[in-house]
Amino acid sequence: MPFRRPRFVNGRILHNGGNGIFYRMEVSIPDRIEFLPGQFAMVSGWPGNDPLLPRPLAIFRAGGARGKGTVEFVYKVVGRGTALLSGLHGGDPLQITLPLGNGFDLGREDRIWWLVGGGVGFSTVFPAAVVLEEQRAAFEVFLGARSRDQLPPREWVPGGGTPGRAHLCTDDGTAGFFGRVTDAVRERMDRLKATERARLSILACGPREMLREIAELAVPLEVPVQASLENHMACGFGVCWGCVTAVRDGEKTAYRRVCKEGPVFDAREVVW
Amino acid sequence: MVNAAGTPDLTSRVGSVVLKNPVMSASGTFGYGLEFTPFYDISRLGAVIVKGLSLLPTPGNAPQRIVETPAGMLNAIGLQNIGVERFVRDVVPRLADAGATYVANIYGRTIEEYEEVARRLSGVASLAAIELNASCPNVKEGGIAFGSNPEGLSGLTRRVREATGKPLWVKLSPNVSDIGSVARAAEDAGADAVTLINTIVGMAVDCRTRRPGLSNVTGGLSGPAIKPVALRMVWEACKAVRIPVIGIGGIQSAEDALEFLLVGAAAVQVGTANFRNPNACVEIIDGIRAFLVRERLAHLDDYRGTLRI
Ligand SMILES: Cc1cc2nc3c(=O)[nH]c(=O)nc-3n(C[C@H](O)[C@H](O)[C@H](O)COP(=O)(O)OP(=O)(O)OC[C@H]3O[C@@H](n4cnc5c(N)ncnc54)[C@H](O)[C@@H]3O)c2cc1C
Ligand SMILES: Cc1cc2nc3c(=O)[nH]c(=O)nc-3n(C[C@H](O)[C@H](O)[C@H](O)COP(=O)(O)O)c2cc1C
Ligand code: FES
Repeated sequence: MPFRRPRFVNGRILHNGGNGIFYRMEVSIPDRIEFLPGQFAMVSGWPGNDPLLPRPLAIFRAGGARGKGTVEFVYKVVGRGTALLSGLHGGDPLQITLPLGNGFDLGREDRIWWLVGGGVGFSTVFPAAVVLEEQRAAFEVFLGARSRDQLPPREWVPGGGTPGRAHLCTDDGTAGFFGRVTDAVRERMDRLKATERARLSILACGPREMLREIAELAVPLEVPVQASLENHMACGFGVCWGCVTAVRDGEKTAYRRVCKEGPVFDAREVVW
Repeated sequence: MVNAAGTPDLTSRVGSVVLKNPVMSASGTFGYGLEFTPFYDISRLGAVIVKGLSLLPTPGNAPQRIVETPAGMLNAIGLQNIGVERFVRDVVPRLADAGATYVANIYGRTIEEYEEVARRLSGVASLAAIELNASCPNVKEGGIAFGSNPEGLSGLTRRVREATGKPLWVKLSPNVSDIGSVARAAEDAGADAVTLINTIVGMAVDCRTRRPGLSNVTGGLSGPAIKPVALRMVWEACKAVRIPVIGIGGIQSAEDALEFLLVGAAAVQVGTANFRNPNACVEIIDGIRAFLVRERLAHLDDYRGTLRI
């Protein structure tokens, strides 16, 4: 039976490789999982106690047949944990708790979807494209990176990176749109007909600054934004209260656990 | 020799509270217990200790609340919790349904608040004990004001002792110079057991951004990094008091847990280890059982406190 409730599993790496910037790791796990795009896993694969805590990674893809599952992660090396992950090889064990958190809500009929990813944030939003493609829903992809070499390989980009459907942006203009991804979103929004805008929904993941800007530009236009936050986590399943973000709760602010009540939040709720 | 069934007896007693094994979850690292039901049957644990409860719901500290350190982590959660009323209404029935032995960890900003939370919990039939957190380093009035010297702790313990008939465990701060005298103060004031250690006050800063890692600036250190300190303090407390001592601090494996039992702890609690491995507690229980089989011991009692010096 594929599982949907969180489990702690001992996986085994099938392959793990990358271009020095992004790595992609496929892992075999004891059972198939069912997950929603936007859900994540807590991953640790190194022996010993340093680093101590597992690292959260979005579930990029999952597959497998009866009684045998696979799960894929895409990650960027930014520090010790991800550097250790990048040094693992096929056959190495990997401890994984998954699937965790609430994914994106893709249930709405007849919407136009924009998937916005900043940096490695694409790994969280791309899985939504797979579901949207199955639903034959209309979507476009916006990707932001510092420069050309920081963009994911074209074959990972949903819709094959078709111009008009995939908007690649670089801060230094070395590829695609010259500027930040939020600028590209703003320009595209300005060109949208009112009838189209009324059907638009945005899914976004990236640096908090980027998410805040997306919220500031979409919320006043009543475009719903589902923002996936990437706070530091210790447990990933709601027991330590370490990962909270401030949200509006009536007149007050409250702290919600990103791993449990999120990581996907309605951008209107978050106190950016 | 193992008993007739071939499985060693792990039964552990903390005063009048009988635990099926010595392994409990540590407060603040196990939510309200229910979060672990997808992973395993929580009635398998010696006991579940829930997140620290206050009289009213508490929002907690602003983020950043956690930062990793070598073989450990600092936290300054600020005791975010749903408050005792909601705990009794929403959580207690589900813990009872799950068949769990559970203990409420409590704290107050004033002695009166401690008393009131204890009183509110006294009528909860399925509650096994109350653990008094006199040692949270992360909120100004999180008990540390009472727990950092024998006089303060004695006053607090006595008042809460009078407020409840439930078994009372007092959780001690390691941020003191003489743990023995603090443990004795709790014993003399009527505690049924002492629990230690809570986290050790620490700090992390970034030399480039020149900023602290935590918004609270300081926080509580937990994890394997604190184990030697915890072990020493548990050993000292065991020598200082006659009431049971519950050992906590950096326990990740059955061997770690056995070390605490060896120096005399009646039982142990597992905290930070739950984060990396949600099954840590049950793996530790299984590991202790396997150890006793290998050592040909029928009862954990035959092993506890047998340190050779
Ligand atoms: C729900 C969720 C899903 C995620 N999905 C992915 C993913 O699919 N692929 C991917 O590459 N990354 C993802 N991340 C981010 C990833 O968890 C961090 O990059 C990773 O934990 C860094 O660990 P490290 O030991 O390499 O870095 P560290 O040594 O811990 O830190 C290095 C630097 O990265 C920063 N950093 C550390 N943790 C985070 C974090 N959680 N968010 C932002 N910055 C951080 C630190 O502040 C520091 O500047 C996700 C995070 C969350 C919360
Ligand atoms: C995130 C976190 C939250 C905690 N919250 C509480 C709490 O509410 N009450 C309490 O008495 N101890 C609390 N503690 C302390 C633990 O219960 C335990 O004493 C300490 O972490 C040492 O054990 P460990 O090294 O196994 O984690 C907390 C610890 C952590 C890491
Ligand atoms: S990471 Fe522990 S509660 Fe979210």
